[in-house]
Amino acid sequence: MGGSSIGYLLREGARNIYANKQMSVAAIGVLVACMLLIGASIVFSFNANSFVGYVEAQNEVVVFLKDNLSDDRISEVEQQLKNTENVSAVRFISKEEGLNSWVQSMSGVAENSEELFAPLYEDNIMPDSFSVTIRDLSQLDATVQVLSDYDDVDYVRAPEQVAQTITIIKHAVNLGGAAIVLLLIGVASMIIANTIKITVFNRRKEISIMKYVGATDMFIRLPFIVEGLLLGLLSASVAFLLIWGLYSLLVHWLAGEGVGWLTFLTENLVPFGSMALPLMGCFLFVGVAIGTLGSIIFVRKYLKV
Amino acid sequence: MIKLTNVSKRYPSGNLALDNVSLDIDKGEFVFIVGSSGAGKSTLMRLLLREETPTSGRVIVNGRNVGEMKRRDIPYFRRTLGVVFQDFRLIPTMNVYDNVAFALRATNVSNKDIRQRVPYILNLVGLQGKARSMPEQISGGEQQRVALARALVNNPDLILADEPTGNIDPELSYEIVELLTEINKVGTTIVMVTHEHELVAQFDHRIIQIEKGRLVADTGKIGGHNGRK
Repeated sequence: MGGSSIGYLLREGARNIYANKQMSVAAIGVLVACMLLIGASIVFSFNANSFVGYVEAQNEVVVFLKDNLSDDRISEVEQQLKNTENVSAVRFISKEEGLNSWVQSMSGVAENSEELFAPLYEDNIMPDSFSVTIRDLSQLDATVQVLSDYDDVDYVRAPEQVAQTITIIKHAVNLGGAAIVLLLIGVASMIIANTIKITVFNRRKEISIMKYVGATDMFIRLPFIVEGLLLGLLSASVAFLLIWGLYSLLVHWLAGEGVGWLTFLTENLVPFGSMALPLMGCFLFVGVAIGTLGSIIFVRKYLKV
Repeated sequence: MIKLTNVSKRYPSGNLALDNVSLDIDKGEFVFIVGSSGAGKSTLMRLLLREETPTSGRVIVNGRNVGEMKRRDIPYFRRTLGVVFQDFRLIPTMNVYDNVAFALRATNVSNKDIRQRVPYILNLVGLQGKARSMPEQISGGEQQRVALARALVNNPDLILADEPTGNIDPELSYEIVELLTEINKVGTTIVMVTHEHELVAQFDHRIIQIEKGRLVADTGKIGGHNGRK
């Protein structure tokens, strides 16, 4: 195929979009709407994961040490904890700090708490401990088992209920997000396929003329494929810009509200840049791959002249 | 050029459209194929275009056996002939020039050649001033001239015209056949299907009559390219 033919095919694809303005606008509208739904699901999934990740990072496993360990031994245990798999952070809590924190947490229980707890400071029964942050909460049980087995570790207190709940939510968000995106891609594919079917049907006369003048099947298909490709690209770009704009507005609005739980939301919103690539990839796949495939499949029907 | 030997065509519905038809059309002839509605004329055209294959018998067009032709060879076969239809079949979104150039582009002709050949052909059919007009802006007769220009632009050896005057008034019909006669004079074989006996009678061309799928009359080859009676 010569250069003039390639130029012709590209021009023809663009011309067809313009010549069939109504159909093209309808196709782009449908595509953009589908992509926006898919994009919203992706954005939601990313952010839900970020929030769950934030909550996950707040988890704390406390490793209580046996009494009367030397400073050197405590340092050794700290190093051992840091080297443990699935442990992301380790912080030493001295018995004094431990007691302070406990007394503070109990301060609301009684009016004269300071007086009430004063004897504890005289004979501090709190053990030295480490606050350990776990990387993957779904592996909590196994990690706790490893930590418990270390020498000089008395016992380990872990938020098992919280860990289980977070793990379930995380799986649900991931699975649910993927299922919704797949479902929407399926729906979008059907709508795009139908739009192409109508476009091809409207131009069956043109296709039959091409056949009579001796055009090869590939030559007939290419402008439709180029058209599908261009419509897909155009729709993907429009959807991408729209979702970018809408997301920025949302971030701006949340930052403006800046109160209570919204602060927590705003701080954990995923920056658009981190989602841009998967979003564009998904839009291009839906628009271009399905647009192109749809053209190939439906033009075939009208090639049998 | 065209040779049919004991050709029959039966459609899946059971309708026998052509029944044991044999005929020869030589290079350079102008042949009218006449017959009443449902006689089998259109089926004959579809066989010549390789839109259909015969149920039995052999159909040879431009040296190729259309019954045995592979699907991928059909476009190259069709480039050796030009086709004109009753309903013109122009692309409404393209102007006159592009409708004609379309046939060249579809067969990978270079832009340089397209720029030379399209104006020449439009001039030949008398549409030199209408190149930028859209199909809806010109008359039925002019639209058929555009269709004829498109059929001619690839310089085919054979033109198949299926009721080309069916949608235009008698005066313009005469002009179209006269134009086809002029084209025939330079050596292009013309096969024109029509049911307009009065029109056919005005020209001195070979006439083949088909009725109920059978060839019932053939005036035989008329000598020379004298055309008009």
